[in-house]
Amino acid sequence: MSISTLSIVQMNDVSASYDSKNYVLKNIKMSITRGTNYAIVGQSGSGKSTLLKLINGMMNPNQGKILVDYKIPNISDKKFKSFMHKIGYIPQNLGLIKNSTVLENILIGALPRVSGLNSFFKKFSDSEIDNAKKILKLVGLQGKAERKVYMLSGGEKRRVAIARALVQKPDIILADEIVSELDHITAREIMDVLAEAQATMKLTAIMVHHDLQLALEYADKVAVIKEGEKILEIGVEGDKIVDFQSGNYTQREILEMFSNKSEE
Amino acid sequence: MSANIDADPRDFVEGLPNIGIMLQEITEVDSSLFVTAFWAMLETIEIAFIGTVVGVAIALPLSLLAARNLNNKFVYVPVRALLAAIRTFPSILWAILFVIIVGLGPFAGVLAIIMYTVGFIAKLQYETIEAVDTDPMDAVGAIGVSKLQLIRFVVLPESASHLLSQILYIFDYNIRQTSILGLVGAGGIGFYIINYIKFFEYGKAAVFMLVVLATVLIIEWVSVRIRDKYIVKSQRGKQIKA
Repeated sequence: MSISTLSIVQMNDVSASYDSKNYVLKNIKMSITRGTNYAIVGQSGSGKSTLLKLINGMMNPNQGKILVDYKIPNISDKKFKSFMHKIGYIPQNLGLIKNSTVLENILIGALPRVSGLNSFFKKFSDSEIDNAKKILKLVGLQGKAERKVYMLSGGEKRRVAIARALVQKPDIILADEIVSELDHITAREIMDVLAEAQATMKLTAIMVHHDLQLALEYADKVAVIKEGEKILEIGVEGDKIVDFQSGNYTQREILEMFSNKSEE
Repeated sequence: MSANIDADPRDFVEGLPNIGIMLQEITEVDSSLFVTAFWAMLETIEIAFIGTVVGVAIALPLSLLAARNLNNKFVYVPVRALLAAIRTFPSILWAILFVIIVGLGPFAGVLAIIMYTVGFIAKLQYETIEAVDTDPMDAVGAIGVSKLQLIRFVVLPESASHLLSQILYIFDYNIRQTSILGLVGAGGIGFYIINYIKFFEYGKAAVFMLVVLATVLIIEWVSVRIRDKYIVKSQRGKQIKA
């Protein structure tokens, strides 16, 4: 087995809660292969976003074990902190600095490589600025480097958030419902940008969606989460949707199953 | 109630014609007094300006240390206690204290304004920092940046418009405060006003008060312009049309 086929994220019987009583995630088993595009789909409150927070160490599981590139994720752990720039996290609300320019926002991704004093004076090396500009071009924001973020459209803001994550030179991209509030065309444009970046930079993408069709269109594998439990792990092979847990189904059958399981 | 504070509306009504006498006296004042008033006002503005700039420069790092979302309680509790102690005194009491320490003159006024500004701005600013949107804090924190980088790239830009608004307000307020610090010998235009009042030269006192009024109005006008240019558009997320 070559290194590229090894799991970059491994979860064994992971349960998590915010109040140590009501579990948001229950006994999640998951293995995400390096370099793949993995989607997590479920309805609101199903625990999808919590899964991402467990992967980037912002939250710790109550039970079970998570390994991200063989490390236990925990932002309070100094060892893990030096690895955090390898995870590009795009939260649902994007977390952009609205009063700063596009370039300033995306250069934040380069901060772990900049010394404290230089970053205080916002002094970045020419190679960092060149790299940031290349990524701006990749996400389709060339010519908008000096624009303030509050002046951008919803789609452009998402491109900035993607660019900031890519400037980190990450191994993994975590995106939380990045296209949920966009129209159909813009949503696909943003997904295309991410797919291109993932292929070019050989990243592992883990994306949370609530649109199963969109997830199946772009992801290699889709985990369906319902009320904190993983109920399906599926993917498209040819014209069929494959259930990696229990066999093959037609696309119609799986969509019916998803809607039934979501409504149960 | 009225017996306790000796308030009688009739005194007010009967005293109203004195305003007319005061206005009459203004017209009789030598115009060269306006030059004196102008220079005294300039000294007042200088005291307020230096006090505001130095006060804000001291308040900003203190506010970063006092913010609960950036520090643990062993840091923010003592800093907040210090700031609360500084805020205990109004500027006039600080001025009396500094007149005793450094003697009469504008330097005591500058020190008093610095102390008041530190207490006031640091409190407003740490409350602003604590209200900074958690999304950018989380998103940037998840990259693994240092605390200094988080402050420089998230906290300061996200709270800058509020800080500018607070600075404009405290400068305006400090001008008015400095105008009365002269009452205790801490420099500025208040020194003249209190002395003219003491010698019943109300017309001359009124001239100096009019200069204060004109200055406050000009500063208010400039503040509105600065607010429109740098604050309002970023808070509304759009540009103001002229």
